[in-house]
Amino acid sequence: MKEISVQKFELASIRVLNSIPNFIKRRGLDSLTKGIRREHLTGYLTILPALALILGLILYPVAYSIWLSLLEKHSFFPQERFVGLENYFYLWKDPEFWSSLKLGVIYSGWTILFQIILGVAAALILNETFIGRGLVRAIVLFPYMVPTIVAVILWKWLLNDTYGVVNYWLFALGVVKDPICWLGADHIMLSLIIMSIWQFFPFVLLSILARLQTIPPELYEAAKVDGASAIRRFIHITLPQIRGILFVVILLRSIWMFTKFDTVWLMGEGAGAGRFIRTLPVYAYMRTLTYYQAGLGAALAVIMFAILVVCTILYFGLFREEADIG
Amino acid sequence: MNRFKIQKFSNRLFLYGAALLLTLQASFPFFWMASTSFKPPSEVFAQPPSFIPHQVTWDNFKRLFTSTHFLIYFRNSILVSGCTVLLTMVVSAIGAYSLTRYQYPGREKIAGLILCTYMFAPIMIVIPFFILAKKIGIENTHFALVLAFTSFCLPFTLWLMRAFFKTIPIQLEEAALVDGADRIRAVIHVVLPLALPGIIATSIFTFILAWNDYIFTRILITSDELKTLPVGVQDLFHSALIDWGLIMSAGMMITIPALLFFVSIQRYLIRGWGAGAVKG
Repeated sequence: MKEISVQKFELASIRVLNSIPNFIKRRGLDSLTKGIRREHLTGYLTILPALALILGLILYPVAYSIWLSLLEKHSFFPQERFVGLENYFYLWKDPEFWSSLKLGVIYSGWTILFQIILGVAAALILNETFIGRGLVRAIVLFPYMVPTIVAVILWKWLLNDTYGVVNYWLFALGVVKDPICWLGADHIMLSLIIMSIWQFFPFVLLSILARLQTIPPELYEAAKVDGASAIRRFIHITLPQIRGILFVVILLRSIWMFTKFDTVWLMGEGAGAGRFIRTLPVYAYMRTLTYYQAGLGAALAVIMFAILVVCTILYFGLFREEADIG
Repeated sequence: MNRFKIQKFSNRLFLYGAALLLTLQASFPFFWMASTSFKPPSEVFAQPPSFIPHQVTWDNFKRLFTSTHFLIYFRNSILVSGCTVLLTMVVSAIGAYSLTRYQYPGREKIAGLILCTYMFAPIMIVIPFFILAKKIGIENTHFALVLAFTSFCLPFTLWLMRAFFKTIPIQLEEAALVDGADRIRAVIHVVLPLALPGIIATSIFTFILAWNDYIFTRILITSDELKTLPVGVQDLFHSALIDWGLIMSAGMMITIPALLFFVSIQRYLIRGWGAGAVKG
């Protein structure tokens, strides 16, 4: 099957090569430039629907949110009043804003760190050959593919203070005497971080694993003959090879964790301790839909966006070398 | 020599131990969900908890289908996700074809722009989207939801389809063109059959993305009969006493379709080109 397609491919290329001079002779140079112009037109026409949707559904709303952040606007009623930068001044003096920023940094910092460590470690393990590898790979990736609501109800049930299986085990093993209130004020951030790492490290695993599979095995054979230890092999062979993809993965994960809404919101909903995990995206949502201050909500989204842009530029500046590889 | 053997054996042991641990952490929560969903209420709250239900019952599922709007949410989810897949796939297949097959000024800039929008998070789009939807009067409709889902699915499908079209040799079409076929026939008879696996895989990824969304539905939809599954299930929590058996059975019913789709695409995921194939 493969051979046939290769043959077909070769035949096709030969035909194309043979036909080009005739094509030019027949039509003449003038019609060739006409052809190029026509190709430009078809090119633009075929990308147009996609571009229009991206402009209308993403770029226009994002631009509109900058305008919205300069208004005092109720989320449900049509009245609006231009107030300039007042929303931003308000947030500057708002302790809730600063605490949500701090909580957001704590949340994204810890989850990113552990996702990367666990993701790379798991990718190294699943890149080895062992019986049942395909099945284990599929099972480990699965938590990433389920809806967040499912991940959240699973963990809320596991961590339930009275009936949860986690507290039962900790108690049975004698680790704790009293049940831990996992979703209470003291532990909810820890629970959220653990749950998020569980849900999102498979993304890191998947990206790194795909790259690991392309590293030529000869590199390792040579190092093994030289007697290099596993740690040295990782530092000197694996790490330089995955540096590029690691750069991209850390960037994407940072953006997505810093702006993560559904996991954080659903984890905090109904727990009573929601305000201890009120990160920036959750705060933006609440300003818009709990306090109906769409202008303030938009201002928060704009601030979030600005922080991301600045951090991304800094990140590219700091790791210029990796950026080139990635 | 003997020491070498012991070393090798302990390496294997470590490997299998680690693989087992990885499998357990990923699967135990789901096993626990399945187990709870088949337990009668008395057993759900029993201490010590039983891992395999002593008394298997379908009662939770029966209540889910009869006393909640689960089936309506389910239908809504399928409808909205299906329409999103249709819209994004048609637009992105044509767009990706354009980005890989035609030469025109600004082409790479457009591709770069798409990659940038791929990184935009829903929370940055959803607030202005909601206000704009109210302004043109389409809030609380499935139409608005399909458009909203398209906003985060489209950059992703375009990027994926572009990567996929790149792997199909352009010479094949050129040969068909030289043989006298017009562009549309060349695409239908030469490109489409080769691109089909990629189109199917991308469609399923898109379906999962749309199926999983919470934030847009939460904000754009207010009528109960228009809600999709994630929001509908979240609302099951609002009763006074949390009915964990019922909630776990709902969790099962959302997870099973996700599992079926996942099984059908997991080989693409593990392969190289699937590396950029996930978002969230």
